Amino acid sequence: MFYREAGQFKTSYEADQALFPIRQDRIGLAVILLIAFVGIPLTANDFVLTSIMIPFLVFSLSAIGLNILTGFAGQLSLGTGAFMGVGAYAAYKLTSLFPDVNVIVMVLCSGFFSAAIGAVFGLPSLRIKGLYLAVTTLAAQFFLEWCFIRIPWLYNYNASGAIEIPSRDMFGILVTGPEATPLTRYFIVLAITSVIALLMANVLRGRIGRSWMMIRDMDIAAELMGIRPLQTKLLAFAVSSFICGVAGAMMVFFWLSAAEPSSYSIKLSFQILFMVILGGLGSLSGAFMGAAFIWILPVVLKFVPGMLGFDIEAATVEHLTFMIVGALIIFFLIVEPHGFARLWQIGKQKLRVWPFPY
Amino acid sequence: MLYDIFIGPFVQMVEMPDFFLQVLWEGFVAGILYALIALGFVLIFKASGVFNFAQGIMVVFAGLTLVGFYESGVPALLALLLTIGVMGALAYGIERFVMRPLVNQPDIILLMATIGLTYFLIGLGEFVFGGEPKRMIAEELGLPTGSTAIEMGERGLVILQHIDIAAAVIAILMVTALGIFFNKTRIGRALRAVADDHQAALSVGISLNQIWAIVWFAAGLVALATGIMWGARSDVSFALEIVAFKALPVLILGGFTSIPGAIIGGLIIGFGEKIGEIYWGGLVGGGIESWLAYIIALIFLLFRPQGLFGERIIERV
Amino acid sequence: MNAIVSNLAQPVGQPKTAERDLLLRVDNVSLSFGGVKAITNISFDIQKGEIRAIIGPNGAGKTSMLNVINGFYHPQEGTITWRGEVRRKMKPYEAASQGIARTFQNVALFKGMTTLDNIMSGRSLKMHRNFLWQMAWFGPARQEEIEHRRKVEDIIDFLEIQAIRKTPVGKLPYGLQKRVELGRALAMEPELLLLDEPMAGMNLEEKEDMSRFIVDVNQEFGTTIALIEHDMGVVMDLSDRVVVLDYGKKIADGPPEEVQASQAVIDAYLGVSH
Repeated sequence: MFYREAGQFKTSYEADQALFPIRQDRIGLAVILLIAFVGIPLTANDFVLTSIMIPFLVFSLSAIGLNILTGFAGQLSLGTGAFMGVGAYAAYKLTSLFPDVNVIVMVLCSGFFSAAIGAVFGLPSLRIKGLYLAVTTLAAQFFLEWCFIRIPWLYNYNASGAIEIPSRDMFGILVTGPEATPLTRYFIVLAITSVIALLMANVLRGRIGRSWMMIRDMDIAAELMGIRPLQTKLLAFAVSSFICGVAGAMMVFFWLSAAEPSSYSIKLSFQILFMVILGGLGSLSGAFMGAAFIWILPVVLKFVPGMLGFDIEAATVEHLTFMIVGALIIFFLIVEPHGFARLWQIGKQKLRVWPFPY
Repeated sequence: MLYDIFIGPFVQMVEMPDFFLQVLWEGFVAGILYALIALGFVLIFKASGVFNFAQGIMVVFAGLTLVGFYESGVPALLALLLTIGVMGALAYGIERFVMRPLVNQPDIILLMATIGLTYFLIGLGEFVFGGEPKRMIAEELGLPTGSTAIEMGERGLVILQHIDIAAAVIAILMVTALGIFFNKTRIGRALRAVADDHQAALSVGISLNQIWAIVWFAAGLVALATGIMWGARSDVSFALEIVAFKALPVLILGGFTSIPGAIIGGLIIGFGEKIGEIYWGGLVGGGIESWLAYIIALIFLLFRPQGLFGERIIERV
Repeated sequence: MNAIVSNLAQPVGQPKTAERDLLLRVDNVSLSFGGVKAITNISFDIQKGEIRAIIGPNGAGKTSMLNVINGFYHPQEGTITWRGEVRRKMKPYEAASQGIARTFQNVALFKGMTTLDNIMSGRSLKMHRNFLWQMAWFGPARQEEIEHRRKVEDIIDFLEIQAIRKTPVGKLPYGLQKRVELGRALAMEPELLLLDEPMAGMNLEEKEDMSRFIVDVNQEFGTTIALIEHDMGVVMDLSDRVVVLDYGKKIADGPPEEVQASQAVIDAYLGVSH
């Protein structure tokens, strides 16, 4: 009843192939964008921006990156964290080698480095599939992590072994480093994430997106229909790693301001994988929902006991958070293995026929 | 440079055979422990097609439980029995609350569920036992300590830790027992039937639930043994979790369903890693143990995508 | 038995076709997996515009033969001549780009995609806008998408599957899945269409529909068709020429009536000890 597209006739293929062919969806998206670009900046305090919104957007973007590889092209990857690290280190090196170039350009350029490295580690995917491929990406994860530690050139021979982001400005406004205001950083992260999400939505509904899904669903049939498996898979690896690299660079430039190799460890890889699977494999909006669940839930859990007046040790809260997240993952997999995106679709279907059950 | 890569290490091996043997022994012991972890994976993969990500954490959890019981005043052997009981309860719980509702889901979903289980067990383990490393009660369990030095004439000596020897013996015993269990008993046969085809197994009257609970319990026992052995060598701590990832290359080499494969794969990785680290690691600054196992597996994969013991894959349409 | 084979190989009464009408010729092809011989020394040809049936008991090597034709398996011996040129060892996607399309014995649709997307996927080879254009979407990429959407809609109309356009194919009944698969192959606008048991597991009504589509494709689009089918009634009605395989060997080749009368074929189907 609330979500009924009756009366919305599409008279051209253009209209039918739009990203959001149903009017209610377009309104919904407009509302979300309005909240993101106007509502949150007006109301949120620094804590919400730096601890919730910025990391949420960064993780959403990396979840989109991994989703392209795993959800759309069907290649399981456990090396997301390392590819994000490549982006971060590349951006860091680029800004220190060319201090005068705009920092956002550098963040975006860093994606090309992670794309190249991602493609190299994607090469074995021609012969290896499934869990076997996971070993390749694990090799990438541990090898790259090792590089971040053992190659001092990457972190400019800092004594701490960490990368620290210099303060840079853009049009007179400080955009990176600890002194930049959270609001500025939020806007940059929001802009980059939304633009990349939109571009990817375009790619995914066209020929290239289809060729990825063909490889995912039935690689033999895809090949017999003229899809070149190696090129298609490598493109998926490169695009995915590009996005992850940009997300990784954003993570240190606009959120953490400093990062160590352990920031990009296998734990990060798993965190992103959780987001993708819980959000829904093969769904862009799912990437956002998964990121929200995995990132925001623990933050909320951390503050609930305090608000309720309980006095629990921080460590205990953390342990409980682990248990709850783990149990919820299993719970959601049992309820709906296809993730939040599917739950959302089912919900929309229910709304369409409400108040009737069918 | 070329000398350092292609000749130097071998000269070193020949010139100091005692050191080389010691490295081999270290590799052997590490390999046995990898093999034990991989064995837990193989058991569950064989019976349910699930890649049980939680095996590593089960090792930690079993070790912590054992130490935890002992520290609360229970005698060592009773603590061992109680821990076995806990692993049984865990197996039943996992079957009842994770596996059963997720039957017939795609592999990736089941993999994901075991990752969720990993998180849950990490939280539970830290909540109950605390996050700091604990000392394994090896002595109290009657495991040998100390070491034997073997003289090699004038060439020096090799030191063997008794606990390592015990680990090797226990691993061999367990593999033999599991082999007999799989091949000779009724439950073992049912288990292989389930592994081949769930529905067909159901149709001839095999209870999936029962089989899965048994398999998870067996994997729990393997985890306990691994936990004791590993804990006796270092400490019982959550750091072991990362080590458990090494089971993946081991499985790749040995095949996901082969018990002897797990052992041989474990040994290859163990030897390869130690020898690589000691003789070649220095060239690139050391610490290559963290990724060498994966690269070894990767190189194997490129030549034999089906693993060492897998059959050649003929793709059909 | 040899006498019969050689008799049937050059059917009497039919004029020997000119070389230019040959679309594909298979010469002395053998294929084995390890020690198992799947195909032994088989030769036959497919002429432009005909419906060519490949039949035989289970395990006769029919599907392997199709796999050889579209480059999925590489025969150890023998040559394949495509449009007058001997084909080198090629990958399946190269065969596809030369105009060979196929359907599969066990439906091999892209399960996660809708009917429309599945058929659109058949147009992949004909679409060329690169990554950058696709990211931008508006402009050439959308233009191209719409152009091909029109062609795909024609196929959807032809196969009468308008109603399931936006349904994920995993949810469709078997008969419709087979139809979508045919649509996907048609979207490639192939010169040679290989159909692997297009009617397996269908009821009579669905078989009739499918037969109609096959004949229409052959006559309206002029597509050459090679099909494997177990339903003898269908095979005899549809096909212009039939090749019969048994245990990887060719035992008969010729027009349906002739093949039907062949003693070797009757033996193969009724079972005679080898």
